[in-house]
Amino acid sequence: MAEQAPGVRIGGLTVVYKTPAGELPAVRDVSLTLEPGSITGIVGESGSGKSTLALSLLNAVQPPGRIAAGTVEIDGLGDVATFTGEELRKARGKHIGYVFQAAQNSLNPLKTVGKQLLDLGRSHGVEDLHGLVREAKELLGRMGLDGARVLDSHQHELSGGMRQRVGIMLALVLNAHLVVLDEPTTALDMITQANILKIVREVHAERGLTTLVITHDIGVVAEVADRLAVMYGGRLVEQGPTREVLGRPRHPYTKGLISAIPRLVGDIDEARALPGRPPTLATVPKEGCVFRERCALRMDVCDTVDPEAVAHGPRIVACHAVTVKEHA
Amino acid sequence: MITGTGIVKTFKQRGNVLAGREVRALRGVDFAIPKGGAASFIGESGCGKTTLGRIIAGLESYDEGEVVIDGTAMSGLKPKQRQPHFRKIQMIHQDPYSALNPTRTIHQTLFAPLSLRAKQTGRSKSWIEERAAEVLALVGLDPGSVLARYPHQLSGGMRQRVVIARALTVDPEMLVADEAVSMIDVSLRLGILALLKDLRERLGVSVLFITHDVATARYIGDDGELYVIYRGQVIERGAVDTVIADPVHPYTQSLLSAIPVLHGLERPGEEPVVPLSSLDAADDDTGCLFASRCPFRGDRCGERPLLQVTEGFPQEHACFYPERRSVIARPLSEV
Amino acid sequence: MSATLIPESVSAAGTMRRNFWRGVWRVMKRKPSRMAGVVIVLGFVFMGVFGPMFFPDHLPGDVNQITDPPSWEHWFGTDPQGRDVLALVITGSRYVLLCAAVTAVITVVAGTAIGLFSGFKRGRWDTVLMRITDMKLTIPGLPLLLVLATVWKFGSPMQMGLVLGLLGWGGVARAVRAQTLSLRERGFIEAARGLGLSTTHIVGKELLPSMAPYIAMNMLISVTGAVYAQVGLFFLGVLPYESDNWGVMLNLAVFQAGAMIQPNALGYLLAPLLAILLLTLGIVLVVDAMDEIFNPRLREE
Repeated sequence: MAEQAPGVRIGGLTVVYKTPAGELPAVRDVSLTLEPGSITGIVGESGSGKSTLALSLLNAVQPPGRIAAGTVEIDGLGDVATFTGEELRKARGKHIGYVFQAAQNSLNPLKTVGKQLLDLGRSHGVEDLHGLVREAKELLGRMGLDGARVLDSHQHELSGGMRQRVGIMLALVLNAHLVVLDEPTTALDMITQANILKIVREVHAERGLTTLVITHDIGVVAEVADRLAVMYGGRLVEQGPTREVLGRPRHPYTKGLISAIPRLVGDIDEARALPGRPPTLATVPKEGCVFRERCALRMDVCDTVDPEAVAHGPRIVACHAVTVKEHA
Repeated sequence: MITGTGIVKTFKQRGNVLAGREVRALRGVDFAIPKGGAASFIGESGCGKTTLGRIIAGLESYDEGEVVIDGTAMSGLKPKQRQPHFRKIQMIHQDPYSALNPTRTIHQTLFAPLSLRAKQTGRSKSWIEERAAEVLALVGLDPGSVLARYPHQLSGGMRQRVVIARALTVDPEMLVADEAVSMIDVSLRLGILALLKDLRERLGVSVLFITHDVATARYIGDDGELYVIYRGQVIERGAVDTVIADPVHPYTQSLLSAIPVLHGLERPGEEPVVPLSSLDAADDDTGCLFASRCPFRGDRCGERPLLQVTEGFPQEHACFYPERRSVIARPLSEV
Repeated sequence: MSATLIPESVSAAGTMRRNFWRGVWRVMKRKPSRMAGVVIVLGFVFMGVFGPMFFPDHLPGDVNQITDPPSWEHWFGTDPQGRDVLALVITGSRYVLLCAAVTAVITVVAGTAIGLFSGFKRGRWDTVLMRITDMKLTIPGLPLLLVLATVWKFGSPMQMGLVLGLLGWGGVARAVRAQTLSLRERGFIEAARGLGLSTTHIVGKELLPSMAPYIAMNMLISVTGAVYAQVGLFFLGVLPYESDNWGVMLNLAVFQAGAMIQPNALGYLLAPLLAILLLTLGIVLVVDAMDEIFNPRLREE
């Protein structure tokens, strides 16, 4: 394992989808740096563009979507946004491992896990298939599964948590050092979820990975991520070290999200619902702040000017109200 | 008041033609939900909590035991006679996308049960229209803009509100909400939970909440009861805050330990409990059902413990070695 | 959210229906091919209903023009009795289309009813009905028709349609049952039961509309199936030639006029074939729109 965990620098990334109403941005002007060896969590609701952003890391946005602007620099690979064809196919799997949303259902129901593993190896030109199987068994064993048995199983013979671990194995087995996990614990139970998150943390540390976790659940990010980035309406509205963002959220959306989580102790009426509802591709405002419709701190400027992402120490916040306060 | 005693349900899996495997979904469950009260069933998927909810809503049959709705026992009645009783209990499904007929407008969706109601009570057609607008207003929707729409024109949160409005058309006594917010956007979830809570307070509707998320269960009613279900058996039952703050069954403790800690806002509990293996490894049907996964198993665990109250603990539990452990995360501000 | 216009007041059933037809119109306009399909199908309906009225019961034959090639006077030529081929196609269409319509209605009504009942009731009813369906599906249609033809003359298109329909509902029943079984597990059906709504309502208002595109498609496709079946039977010559029918024409074109070796008779052979082809094309083009017509989301977009 000579390779090092790569760093990733996403710069000014815009991804648009073609719709009858013209090309609409699902991700707009997003800049994000994944430090080598870190776990970054992206939190967002449906339609926030978080999955699209993750797919851009592989340059795998499917038509009618396309990367319209920006760069995705990955150490040792270059700007993935310019890759095409064979070059791209090789980068996926070998350098970037992707655990798809609902990995529980992304296995081929007709083939055993082992067969799918061999298919993966062959399509990436792996010479030593025995080595690949050994590596896979080791990884599965590491995650608390009986490798030989799992490789012999079909999808329906595995539980949700086991399938998720198989997904992680398939993402890592080609020795990728950049791993993207899209909603790794959705539809799993609390205990299974805790288990998977623990595995993600441990495997991350042991293999020296750079990990990106995409989720709608702040709790998941809080458990695993060093850094937290919050997306809303295709924009990255706030990012920073997880504990700081959770402890002292700056952006009104982050604040709203956190206070909308029911707690186990304390006054239940402290939990407050966010008014309004998240925008879809078609209803995202064309200009001005994307969150203003639901924002308590809305000012006149929010209607016309899209707030820039401003760094406040390790925190980056895109909000006019916060910027005004910081400079006052 | 809706009560159940000794509910047993066994599913026969038809995987193999010759040997039908039996799955014991419920192994003699008792429950009691008072009028206007709240109760929550929590547990892992496959523990039987959904089956129990469906039995209570009259959507599933049961093999043994008795469900009693407002003093009337259900098992002696014919299906036709049971129907008006079970109608008082309305189910709110997890998936608001499949819970509404995509080919029917919201108006049509509400009109059908309301016109049935109008026929039974001899009310006029204008009452139906008024009542449709009324139930929509109750769930926080604007009737004028929603009635003529099809479900696909509404967001997930709005659909779930329509589903609740539809349930309200029959003036239910209890709503059974099965993971009712798990498919809703995070920023909208609390709105739905607050609505259920509000309906409890304003209309006196009792709410049975089925979930694997203990915190949401608490939000609906911290005055209610929590039933922790494991492999078809209630293993701990008590007041919500008692069970959350001082759980005594190791399974409850491992469930609560698994809840993500919001680092930066909370500090983790001091004695987290992690089960020895995952649920699918447990298939032992003798003795304590949790024994094979339990880190604290003792000599007596070869026997099946019954749900009971023992000295020193306010809640009922099914464990021979009950002990309080501090497992849940606490806010940093509390320190 | 789509920007459809939502009337402020509560819409009554009347406006709903108007909206539906407006939606159908919108769906049809989306692709020119669909409009072409509609025009073709309507054209055939017109031909079947009114076409024969323009001609005498017994078409006059001109002995000087026996098996003539296409000309300005006779677009598709004449048959061995000197009759105009186009006139034969038109007068023959009524039998073909009426029979096809009867077949389609019986197939769909019987198939849907049995499938719905079976899937909704489940249990013993389901087992019995599906065994009957399976048995029916195993009966080979053509030999049975041949046997029936020896005792029954199929002089009326109704008889023919009835027999074809009774032979054809099995597949629809199976498919509708499968759909019903999957739909009845959906939340909205369960909710309807929980609300105490009648079975009539659940089946008629909740289940059927969800299957409407499917049923409509089956109906249209069974029309083409019925056309092939009857034309085939007449072509084989197992049925008497008395009736005017495209199949009879084909048979006569091949075996009497010798269209395979006699170029003059080519028009006689091609005319009914073209009619069948055009009808199939029209139906296929219309089928394409069914999904969008019955799915409100696709209809409104």
